[in-house]
Amino acid sequence: MAAPATQARETPLPPRSEVGVIGWLHANLFSTWYNTVLTVISVTLLVLALWFGLKWVFADADWTVIVELGGRFVLGRYNTEAACAGQNCFWRPQAALLLVVVVLGAAWGLRGNPTARNVALLVAGVSAAFAFLPYSLETMGWDVRLLLLANLPALAVGWALARYTPLGTGMRIALMGVGAFFLTLILMRGVAGVPGLQPVSVIYWGGLTLNLILAVGGITLSLPIGIALALGRRSNLPVVKVLCVAFIELFRGVPLITLLFMSQVLVPLAFPEDMPQNSLFRAAVVITLFSSAYMAENIRGGLQALHLGQAEAARALGLAGWQTTLLITLPQAVRNVIPAIVGQFISLFKDTTLVYIIGMQDVLTIGRSFIQSNPEYLPNAPELFVFVAVVFWIFTYTMSHVSRRIEDTLGVGQR
Amino acid sequence: MAAVPQLLTYQGIPFWRHVRVIQWATQVISAVVVVALVVWFFTNMVNAIQDRDIPHGFSFLSREYQTPIGEHFLPYESSDTFLYALGVGIVNTVVVAVAGVILATLLGLFIGVARLSTNWIVSKLATVYIEFFRNVPLLVQLFFWFYIVLALPTIREGYVIGGLFYVNNRGISLPWPQASDYTVALVWLGAAIVALGVGLAANKRLSRREARTGLPSYPIVVGAGAAIIIGGAAWLALSIFTGDSPFFISTPEPHGRFGNIAGGFTARSGLLVLLIGLVMYTASFIAEIVRAGIQSVGRGQTEAARALGLSPMKTLRSVTFPQALRVIVPPLISQFLNLTKNSSLGGAVAYSDLTSIAVTMTQTAPAVSIFMLIMAAYLAMSLTWSLIGNLYNRYIQYGRRN
Repeated sequence: MAAPATQARETPLPPRSEVGVIGWLHANLFSTWYNTVLTVISVTLLVLALWFGLKWVFADADWTVIVELGGRFVLGRYNTEAACAGQNCFWRPQAALLLVVVVLGAAWGLRGNPTARNVALLVAGVSAAFAFLPYSLETMGWDVRLLLLANLPALAVGWALARYTPLGTGMRIALMGVGAFFLTLILMRGVAGVPGLQPVSVIYWGGLTLNLILAVGGITLSLPIGIALALGRRSNLPVVKVLCVAFIELFRGVPLITLLFMSQVLVPLAFPEDMPQNSLFRAAVVITLFSSAYMAENIRGGLQALHLGQAEAARALGLAGWQTTLLITLPQAVRNVIPAIVGQFISLFKDTTLVYIIGMQDVLTIGRSFIQSNPEYLPNAPELFVFVAVVFWIFTYTMSHVSRRIEDTLGVGQR
Repeated sequence: MAAVPQLLTYQGIPFWRHVRVIQWATQVISAVVVVALVVWFFTNMVNAIQDRDIPHGFSFLSREYQTPIGEHFLPYESSDTFLYALGVGIVNTVVVAVAGVILATLLGLFIGVARLSTNWIVSKLATVYIEFFRNVPLLVQLFFWFYIVLALPTIREGYVIGGLFYVNNRGISLPWPQASDYTVALVWLGAAIVALGVGLAANKRLSRREARTGLPSYPIVVGAGAAIIIGGAAWLALSIFTGDSPFFISTPEPHGRFGNIAGGFTARSGLLVLLIGLVMYTASFIAEIVRAGIQSVGRGQTEAARALGLSPMKTLRSVTFPQALRVIVPPLISQFLNLTKNSSLGGAVAYSDLTSIAVTMTQTAPAVSIFMLIMAAYLAMSLTWSLIGNLYNRYIQYGRRN
């Protein structure tokens, strides 16, 4: 019999074409003739794209327009003569940045998880690195550079606050974050009568700071409003349901820029004339409400996908209706639609560029108006927009990266 | 009434904790608050309009607009009314939306399938495309394309490809079918629709027969053949009858001293930039929807189809994709809706879409009235997309189970 002989023999190794680098290449690039054709075409395209792309970035492109704009990308017209009445108010947004970094450091110190650490280190590190930008000291003084460098100790202070003081709980750090946001607004806006804090009109706010303020405010508020709307839409109270459906469909049915435009022509009329008016606040409200309508639909999707047994079991255990919603169904629904929620956050951040329609100068518009008023830079428009695109991409990619980490932590999609 | 005392103290629970009382109170309070707010806003608005003498009302609609519109698909003169100019804007937006939706779906489908390719480099390239275009604001992309097109050579020095395509900083001109005579063309289009209907009906009937009996029935050959024969016969008949074919291909040609181009179809730079931007941006979202849809179909389906001897292409077309479609269509429709709404950025790249026309109009007419009209127009467009989506969704959800 041959059977014992075959058993005794060692299992033969797989052929060389199926393992190692060659095996991988074979399986992933050259498995069939059309796969080979696809590979050859894609590699050709890739090489061409890389060749011309790198040649453009390092040889053909003229990046002086970026250097020329410099700090205006970050702050717009904030530090101009007109905005600050001749005084120096550059330190105010910088102080706000320090506050934010303290909070980020505290978030890192709280649990020491790698995502919080990476984000905190990224923000503080990049800010500190800006201190070494090769501008002349007239353009970028020692004070500016030192305040930027101070982000590193600020990070350490935040970390230590979370580790060694009673501030180190999730709730307190969240409250610190809210406090930092409002302090940022106060620092930026100024307080009448306080020396050094002369008011700066919101029309001078601009650059990336404007995008970030609108995005952070919108993100923080659109989630709770969206949850409320989603619950309202699923409510069995007809009046509440109709109101929520009308709100959601109205805001989802029209473009954001028409809403922004309306917020500037209609909303001022709808309030008494003597009420204080603030165009930035109105824009922020519109962006937030617009995003909430989308958020509501995402949350509703999550609630609908949830098995009915969850709510029934909760009720059977004796939980009240609001307890069932807040403790059982809502957390699961939100957890299941994290990608959609973060996608909406990213959309909101991208949508902050639309404030151009109401004349605010965000990071995109400041660049565009610069090349429009300096036509000698017109040929460098591609450089400008590639730079702005990369800036946005860094933020949005970080957001989706963090979302994937959160999903991993919460074990979404795992059984 | 017996119900009232029971309501007041039900098993010792005070009446204000009774579920129905709370529900009614919530509804009444929310209704009152909303109505009060609306009334308050409205009163303030009416007062402001009266006090500050702000123009209002809709009488402007019949006035002459007196402003040129850059690009229009309806015939337009400055002496036309505001109402008609708004109609021109709606058509401009609809044209971009429909063309954008078709192109973005095709590109998105292609990239979504490429993303799932077993070929490593193809799938990585698709991933890079998606991650980049999805994460950069549309407005940044639009400005980028705008200045790229602006940097193209002028119309005199522009590129000419094969004598048929003209590419320059004013846009792109390409050959386009043109009607010799509108009545004849319409008659032929009617005949073509009939031919298409007959072909589709034949195809459906024969497919069913093939599925039922297993006899080869050539549904595609017969269906396409019937359509081509009927359409061709109509074309021939009309050509003989009128002495001219219903349509001819008009090619762009240089015209006059300034290098202008006549004939063909010219997508002016605004339209071109807006379409490129919208299509590239939306395609990245559609690609992700397509990928998620295909992945939602169980592996067993693919494996079973392959085990039955279907080729990979046939498996994708006849087994995976029809099932994936049920997952794909609802979010796809919402992307169509987003594309339509995003076309409102046309003003930023010098395309006269509805919003940009409306913004221009606010200089000579009441802004509040105009924006109420265009918001209604956008709502109508959104509802149309939802309607189409729901109908199609219903068709693919149940229509195939027989």
